[in-house]
Amino acid sequence: MTIQSDQAKAEASNWQTQVLEYCLRIGNFFCFAGWAWGHLYWEPSYASILWSEASFEWFQQFGYSWEEFTGTGANDGLIQKCIQWIGWICVANAVLSFTARRNSWIQLCLLTSGSLFMLAIAVAKYIRSGFELPMLIEQGGQILSPILLVMALSIGVRNRITTMTAIIAVMMTFGGHGLYAVGLWPTPATFVGMTRVVIGWDYDSSKLFLLVAGVLDFIVCFGVLIPFLRRSSALYAMIWGIVTAAARPVAGMSWELNYWGADQFLHESAYRAPHFFIPLFLYLYWTYTKVQHSFGSLTLETKDMTLPSTAK
Amino acid sequence: MRNRIFASLIILLIANTVVGQNRRRVDLSIPEVDRKDVICFALYTVHDQTLKLTAQLYPLKNDEARLARLEIKKEGNWVEVAQTEVIEQGWTAPFRVAKWDDANTWQYRVRHGEQAVYEGTIRRNPTDKDEIVVAGFTGNSIMPAHGGDISRQDILDNIQRINADILFFAGDQVYDHKRHYAAWLKFGRDFGDIIKDRPTICLPDDHDVGQPNLWGESGKISTLRGAADGGYAQPGLYVQEVERAQTSHLPDPADPHKIGQDISVYFTNLNWGNIDFAILEDRKFKTGPAGRVPKQGPRPDHIRNPEYDPVSVDVEGAILLGKRQLAFLKSWTQDWQNAKMKVALSQTIFCGGAHIHGSASGRLHADMDSNGWPQSGRNRAIDALRKGFAFHLAGDQHLATIFHHGVNEHRDAIWSFCVPSIANLYLRWWAPLEAGANREDNMPEYTGDHLDGFGNKVTNYAAANPEKKPAGNILNTRSAGFGIVRLNTKTREITMECWPRNVDITSDDAQQYPGWPRTISQLDNYHPRSWGKMKEFQFDYAHPVVQLVDNETDEVLYTIRAHNSFFTPHAPLNREFTIKVGKDSPDRVITTSAKAKK
Repeated sequence: MTIQSDQAKAEASNWQTQVLEYCLRIGNFFCFAGWAWGHLYWEPSYASILWSEASFEWFQQFGYSWEEFTGTGANDGLIQKCIQWIGWICVANAVLSFTARRNSWIQLCLLTSGSLFMLAIAVAKYIRSGFELPMLIEQGGQILSPILLVMALSIGVRNRITTMTAIIAVMMTFGGHGLYAVGLWPTPATFVGMTRVVIGWDYDSSKLFLLVAGVLDFIVCFGVLIPFLRRSSALYAMIWGIVTAAARPVAGMSWELNYWGADQFLHESAYRAPHFFIPLFLYLYWTYTKVQHSFGSLTLETKDMTLPSTAK
Repeated sequence: MRNRIFASLIILLIANTVVGQNRRRVDLSIPEVDRKDVICFALYTVHDQTLKLTAQLYPLKNDEARLARLEIKKEGNWVEVAQTEVIEQGWTAPFRVAKWDDANTWQYRVRHGEQAVYEGTIRRNPTDKDEIVVAGFTGNSIMPAHGGDISRQDILDNIQRINADILFFAGDQVYDHKRHYAAWLKFGRDFGDIIKDRPTICLPDDHDVGQPNLWGESGKISTLRGAADGGYAQPGLYVQEVERAQTSHLPDPADPHKIGQDISVYFTNLNWGNIDFAILEDRKFKTGPAGRVPKQGPRPDHIRNPEYDPVSVDVEGAILLGKRQLAFLKSWTQDWQNAKMKVALSQTIFCGGAHIHGSASGRLHADMDSNGWPQSGRNRAIDALRKGFAFHLAGDQHLATIFHHGVNEHRDAIWSFCVPSIANLYLRWWAPLEAGANREDNMPEYTGDHLDGFGNKVTNYAAANPEKKPAGNILNTRSAGFGIVRLNTKTREITMECWPRNVDITSDDAQQYPGWPRTISQLDNYHPRSWGKMKEFQFDYAHPVVQLVDNETDEVLYTIRAHNSFFTPHAPLNREFTIKVGKDSPDRVITTSAKAKK
């Protein structure tokens, strides 16, 4: 069974389509690779909420004992095993990012389930944060990244649904960041800390910088909806996504540390890949495509995408 | 089966969000108060005839004066003794009054403007009392998910009943990582009635400064989730505000030079009732483990593999107390002016004192949040403290324990008492897989000689392990409580008591946690079994200060104020010592060739 629109077929051989598609593939790959590292090598931040009596009571229903749940020290407890399994699912999704084909519904379904896992991780982080709404919203790019890839493969990268989903992902990611950065929710201390370490500014200057960055985040959220602003908004979002993702290793790594600290910080950049690859996708899409808006409807005109003829 | 588990896990996570478990944010709104109530509470200490008192105010209005006044009642009249500027960031008003008459009890009142008054009692220094009672607390959680803001009235009532001389809050007075000021006001409203009338020592720990764990690394900025890279996650200004609120009333710092981010230090000593308390900051200089130690578990600060090599994590250069505090302890243990006994107060104990962590968590072989790591730093700290026979009182572990620590052999160093949490959010258990050696008769298998997760020699005497599924999911029933330490300067005995919540501890049928009470001697804090003893020395005056110095290394073995006018020194065998004595300091050599025999 193939899931493929006529539009998708037409685009299949288009190199720009390939570029757009690989933006999503690469972003999705690094996102899941980063989370895989965060589960298999480290323990994810939300793990503490799994260690609850409610969890234990659930597992008791499946016949697990206290000792099996907690582990003996010589072996991993049940929650740790679950975390490892989630990590391997992330590995599988990372691989699927490159292997998934538009005509393989199994792989596409598995990729879609990757979004469910990302949603579960996002919800866990949201709970762990004390139910701070921006923590949930800012995961939007990571949650939607697998679905976005599935859409691109199945209905086409240029399908309106695909691009709207990408826009929503950018709006959620930058909206969430913006809510924190401007201080509508308490700005995470790490935002200020990274700014101070990377740039070397004092606290007040760093806070002001974050305030400006937060305002720009909100501008991006609106800018991606406005035709004459969308390309520049997407370009800024891509650059800022790279900067914020890179801030973690830049602030934390050091020559003195084991592996220079790469094992602590690089994966935090990796799983933020959708924060810049999705904006890159939109930027390239809008660059390749000239869009004209008419009153009440969207009309899509495409540039001539055919390769120059080599016939003599 | 596994697919069902996965599905259940996802549903559980989402259900937690949708249904919740009444997990509201803690209500830490700052109440609008009448101007006459603008002073929330006050804390004080008196040391070396210097009064330091910090009044904590609610936010002042723009048109209100930023001046607070301190008055005492002299011969029936209120007399102003100090004024101070209110510091807007955190709304604290720190007073310092030198040449304080600590031989008398004084009624005091803090005033702001025309209306606001806060009254209390500054006690006289109880140098004539034989027994000094210290009440110890830690872990003041009010998280809604675990019962929330449960009344502390039982604690207040008990403290009043026993008339504790000193209050010691070992850390985590505040659990909100972003709203310290509001939570600190809440703390003051809860405990102000006992704080205002007795010296109070407060030590900010990790949660107080807004992070789950703290390895301060002299004020570095932390950027790693969990802060295992060392440093402070919150900005320096936030940390400064926390420390101003909680520690500005402590005696002047022994070494006031600031650390990174302009963060102050507050380690010092307080001499009260002839007990010399060393107030330590065991997080401030501590090295962060991330990237420094080989990875041993799913977190950079956790070790899950029991087969790992403890030596591998005792990395060179890793700091615990730091040079400044060790230098302070070196002089503190030799200074016995007005002191008969010594007690060290810090955030947590010097060993890995728990095996199982979390609400229903996994076995954790070692946690570098404990001060069992770094091992070399731990040994230096304990070695410094035992030279003054210092008893160690601390908290943070959410598990009450009594340990006798060892450096070169079991039981050759100090005793520690980790008090239980006021409200137990994060449970821990002391549950070694093997039974302890050399246990006392009829004692549980978890007691006795062990190696903690870092290979440190520890001997456990008691642990208030919670039930695996604690009765009631509310904070004050999960092995919560508080500790009482009775320091008898006449008998030189130290009695540890560990009480649960919601009991009248003066009642005949009140029960402590199993393993308590326990009484030890001051000398038990440095009495290795391998040592011998010397002849008895007689002195012309009572309670001389005696010091032994190793002739070979020129190092002080220990210094102590003798219990009587005679003293029988204990010392390592096959070494020669110089003994010095003096009335208040060991300034006279009485022998240069003292040797111990078995």
